[in-house]
Amino acid sequence: MATAMETIKKKTVRINGCVASAQAAKYADVDVIAAYPIRPYTATMMALAQMVANGELDAEYIVADSEHSQLSIAHGASSSGARVFTGSSGVGVQFAYELYSPISGSRMPVQMMIADRTLDPPGDFGSEHTDALSTRDMGWLMGWSCDAQEAFDNHLMAFRIGEDRRVLLPQMVCQDGFFVSHITTDVELPDPGQVKEFLPPYKHPYPLDPRRPVSHGPQIMPEQGPPLQLERARAMEGCMPVIEEIHEEFARIFGRRYDAWLEEYKTDDAEIVFFLQGGHAVTARFAINHMREKGMKVGMVRLRTIRPYPTERVCETLSRFKVVGVIETNMGLGSVSSGGSLYAEAAAALYESPKRPLIMSFMAGMGGEAIVLKEFYWMAQKMIDAQKRGKIEKRTHWVGFEE
Amino acid sequence: MSTKGTRIPEWLTVPFAGITPAPTQEKGQDLFPTGNWRSIRPVYRDKLPPCNNACGTNEKIQGYLDLVKRGKYLDAYALIKEDMPFPSVTGRVCYHPCETACNRGQYDEAISIRAVERFLGDLGQALQRDVVKPGKPNGKKVAVVGSGPAGHSAAYQLARLGYKVTILEKSPKAGGLNRGGIPDWVLPQDVLDREIERLIELGIAIKTNTEVGKDVSWDSLKKDYDAVVLAVGLTEPNSVRAEGENKQGVIYGLPFLRDIGMGTSKVKLGARVAVIGGGNTAIDCAREALRQGAVEVTMITVEGNPKEMPCVPEDLHDMLEEGVELIHGKAVTAVLGNGRVEALELHPAKFSGAINASPITINKDVAAEKFAVDNVIIAVGQHASLAWLPAEFKTERGSIKIDRFGRLGDTNFFAAGDIVQLGSGQPLMVVNAVGDGKRVAFNLDKALRGEALEPRKIAIDVIVDLNRMNMTYFPHFPRVKQDMLNPTSRKKTQDEVILAFTEEQAVEEAGRCFSCGTCNACDNCYLVCPEPCIARSDRSNGLYKILVDYCKGCRVCIEECPTGCLEGVPELDFDAGVVRMDTAFAISPGLHGRQAQELANLASRPAKEL
Amino acid sequence: MPAIEVQRQTLPILGNPNQGARFYNPDLPASEPFVPGHRTCAGCGPSIQYRMTSKASGDNTILVGPTGCMYVANSSYLCTPYNVPWAHTQIGSAGSFTAGVAAAYEAMIRKGKYKGTFPNVICEAGDGSASDIGLASISGALYRNHDCLIICYDNEQYANTGIQASSRTPYGGMTTFSPPGPKVPEAKTLYPKDLARMMAAGHPHCYVATASVGYPIDLMNKVRKGLNHKGAAYLMIYTPCQKGFVYETPRSIDLGRLVVECGLYPMWEWNPEKREYDYSFRPQTMRPVAEYLKLQGRFGHLHAEHIANLQKFANQQWQMMGVQLPEALIKSADPKNQVNMAASAEAEAVAQTL
Repeated sequence: MATAMETIKKKTVRINGCVASAQAAKYADVDVIAAYPIRPYTATMMALAQMVANGELDAEYIVADSEHSQLSIAHGASSSGARVFTGSSGVGVQFAYELYSPISGSRMPVQMMIADRTLDPPGDFGSEHTDALSTRDMGWLMGWSCDAQEAFDNHLMAFRIGEDRRVLLPQMVCQDGFFVSHITTDVELPDPGQVKEFLPPYKHPYPLDPRRPVSHGPQIMPEQGPPLQLERARAMEGCMPVIEEIHEEFARIFGRRYDAWLEEYKTDDAEIVFFLQGGHAVTARFAINHMREKGMKVGMVRLRTIRPYPTERVCETLSRFKVVGVIETNMGLGSVSSGGSLYAEAAAALYESPKRPLIMSFMAGMGGEAIVLKEFYWMAQKMIDAQKRGKIEKRTHWVGFEE
Repeated sequence: MSTKGTRIPEWLTVPFAGITPAPTQEKGQDLFPTGNWRSIRPVYRDKLPPCNNACGTNEKIQGYLDLVKRGKYLDAYALIKEDMPFPSVTGRVCYHPCETACNRGQYDEAISIRAVERFLGDLGQALQRDVVKPGKPNGKKVAVVGSGPAGHSAAYQLARLGYKVTILEKSPKAGGLNRGGIPDWVLPQDVLDREIERLIELGIAIKTNTEVGKDVSWDSLKKDYDAVVLAVGLTEPNSVRAEGENKQGVIYGLPFLRDIGMGTSKVKLGARVAVIGGGNTAIDCAREALRQGAVEVTMITVEGNPKEMPCVPEDLHDMLEEGVELIHGKAVTAVLGNGRVEALELHPAKFSGAINASPITINKDVAAEKFAVDNVIIAVGQHASLAWLPAEFKTERGSIKIDRFGRLGDTNFFAAGDIVQLGSGQPLMVVNAVGDGKRVAFNLDKALRGEALEPRKIAIDVIVDLNRMNMTYFPHFPRVKQDMLNPTSRKKTQDEVILAFTEEQAVEEAGRCFSCGTCNACDNCYLVCPEPCIARSDRSNGLYKILVDYCKGCRVCIEECPTGCLEGVPELDFDAGVVRMDTAFAISPGLHGRQAQELANLASRPAKEL
Repeated sequence: MPAIEVQRQTLPILGNPNQGARFYNPDLPASEPFVPGHRTCAGCGPSIQYRMTSKASGDNTILVGPTGCMYVANSSYLCTPYNVPWAHTQIGSAGSFTAGVAAAYEAMIRKGKYKGTFPNVICEAGDGSASDIGLASISGALYRNHDCLIICYDNEQYANTGIQASSRTPYGGMTTFSPPGPKVPEAKTLYPKDLARMMAAGHPHCYVATASVGYPIDLMNKVRKGLNHKGAAYLMIYTPCQKGFVYETPRSIDLGRLVVECGLYPMWEWNPEKREYDYSFRPQTMRPVAEYLKLQGRFGHLHAEHIANLQKFANQQWQMMGVQLPEALIKSADPKNQVNMAASAEAEAVAQTL
């Protein structure tokens, strides 16, 4: 494949996260698209509908009768050997819940785009990560993008990772509703040749093909369950080097390098760090710059891939700091921290560390509210206080609702 | 890494993601044989259909009807030829006990078997070369005395067995009763001629004008041949023992028909003809009399009503249609007239015991009734002429004495046909004589080869009960009728009265057959099996096989077998092919490792042709 | 790249070679897409249906099995009897998974990613899936007109979970979720959902028909018509359940005939071209419903009035098909002309002891 710079025709367009996702699906030449409307991810499907109508993309565009059907259609199509793309938001993600385990269990690399939305009640359009995070243990690869460019890139990489014979797992490529999905930024669209080089055609080893008949998903005896579960667990763990390898490959072909697991921002000399995922990283960077000007030793660690969870990396990285403030943006009602679910996993990852930092959880950015500068300062202050004290005041703070 | 250091023991190996390779059609899902769920096993067990059983020569009637139904006419013809040398003849003349026995008769109307037989017989006649071939010559010579139905049949079967057969016939033309006892308008001469030709094609020599006792002796037969079949028939007409029976104008039925058949008849009938007798020959005589110029033909029978008459009902019907009158319950006691018959004297009469099988009682207390006629044809049966036969082989009733194998003592002489059946209770009919000839031929063969002879088999499992069949599969359908010539025109000619089936008619009528108790490859079991564990080797035949490794014994196939061929047999009756408990739940450790391996090899396997 | 035209299969319609004695011997391929070695009950109606359907569709077929007996009993212990591709899907995903398979093949063939003739895509959903939990997904697949055949193998209950009422369970049918008792002597009080008509009415562009295992050739021909129809097709097939209906196993096919003959399972086809029902199928005889009911333990508790109610229901079904009712059937709808089932007193006695 010719990838010499002179033959590559990249272009930069100004699009939002939803359209970036749709563009990624188009570049991946998906065969089947299963749509069902729910805001905010709908804009992705609207864009794809237009591409199909225009003849820019040859795919079966199916308007399903529910999210449950969307995922079943995706499952059926993927099982047949087609590359499929679907997506949802909020309660829609939950409506399809039954299918997440069967899809990963049958090792079908379905790709799902999620633009987060708060779960009902209240009927809130804003972004909270609870919708996708609630499915985090269902055997899907999962990670958040923080802007439209990263969303585009993550979709392409997720296809490549999920369809790799060593992996064969479905992927949830998540972005915050509104903050990423509906904010327009410059996105560099690659040359189709680059994508062709990066992403080979999808070929499942055992599809539903009448020429080589197989049965997918038969019943088992209880004793046959554990080996199958173990196999799925091994796939989840075993894909970690593949993910790293494919990020390298992506960097080589497209020239954009991402750390597969964590983005660190101004952490070299940081003593306190915000630990978060998704679009709030953009505001966090701004706030950190602001605080740095005031001499505060603050930084940010952003989790790019939460499934599989990079436990060792999280442990090593966060152990370098004095205080870690987890910005949840999700609901973990009655959880270990009585806050969100990111805290529990980060804390558990740190447990074996000989140099554990203090760790606390912030319920911020809930309901799709932006986390404003003042709130970053408030959170930083809580972390500095704890650092001074050598002890946290309490595990979870509801930002904006405390003095 | 939680999965680090894990291992899946070999006995728990499972295929990737539980994706299982397809089982094969040949072996089924052999990891899960379900045969031991069964307590009753379905078994194909063909019964003898009532038609086959009733047929004098046990033609495989159900078999050839089934072949006709499928359009395999030549196969059907070949099948019929196993037991019947001249289906074109019996297809016209047979008294069809098969149709009387036909189960369809109790349901709507019996199958018109004879018409289908004729269809096949005519098809065989049209063949350039017959499907039947002579057997490999075995160097032995057999004489068959008589070329009537029994002799014809015996000679035919013996030729097929490889014997060098010579038929000795006293008449100038071969055919015996087929020639001399059946009118042209029932059996055209050329049809019979063609069947005789078929015999010659089989290498059989026919010596006509050769009478045993006159041209050849008992001793020369014994000397010149390895074995002999005596099928001389009953050649001498019975008299009614009436006063004045020797008057001019009194004719006997069989010679009357025979002379017309041989073309040597000099009889000129008057306008009024009486026929004495109520059997098939009497009917043929009455109808022939019309064709020979008689105007008024009356049949006088001892039987009290038409139903008692020992004849084929259709023939009686056709006779009445042609205008013959019937007088029942009367016997001729005297033939009146001055040298030539002018009238008959009739008295009330009846059988003293069983109809047609007991002496006649005549009531002379009643005044005689006079019946004016120009001619009278007496057709009350025949007897044999056996002067040449050693006395030890004669019976009191004037027939040849045989053992239960058809053999005369310990000689190599066998006898068949009316000559042995006279008075035995078996109707003296063509098809019965054919059967006799066939069985005797087989026994003769056995005798010469030193094997044990076989008596006539008695059917042990004949399906007659419709409850043993699944009648839901049989909608009511009327019998296909054979077309006939118009009675007013036909009675003046020698044209064949009953017309042949067209191909469509034959197929339609054959299609009505229930195939009682016999597998006819209908595929019903094959289609309704839930497993499916009934294998079919070929669509065209009934070679089904129950895969006993899988059959759960639900008995749906047995219930849905239209013909009653499938039966349920308790599993305890078997000692082979039983699926044991330890293999029925086949999931023993490690079995799925095979699947894992098969799945892994799937890509290298050839793809299914679609 | 120009789109590749999708080649589709056309399966011949079977003739019935012999009317006089109704023998089948249909011209079917020798290959068996459904082989023995599965855990369905002896005499299983749905399995009979599966056998006929797969035999009619042939080797170039993909089967989809939403949760139900034909998943649980057929694919036990990683041993499946399917000699064609088969996939399990969730009980509510009948139509959607099937749609996914069909859509995938449309796209893959069109885009040159799969070289071959479009396969027969058949979904085998039980009535629980088809009439209750998967109704919307099936409606979606029919509405969108994917080239597939969706079959409801209707055993009138959730059977593999231990006989629970579905919305196809007939009035008077006893299940573990609709037991008879002193307060509810008839057991199930509701009449079944008219599922097939619902599908025909709502998706008039689809080929829709009802069939019964009692009529194998008709069943297989309807399967083939459904597969030949370009677009979605829907079949609802009566498949008796020995375990739930409580009858002697050899009667599976017999019940399939009786249910039609007594009018409880109207047989028809919806003609999508003419947009009209075809009611030309006629059973050999018409019978009162009691002849069907008395063979099954699940109706053993019924009283005369309940049987009369079912007769009334059957009579309405005949009338919907434009069939003139014989006097005997009209009379049978009067409770005075019915007698209690033999076991009705026993059923009551048992109920009292609970």
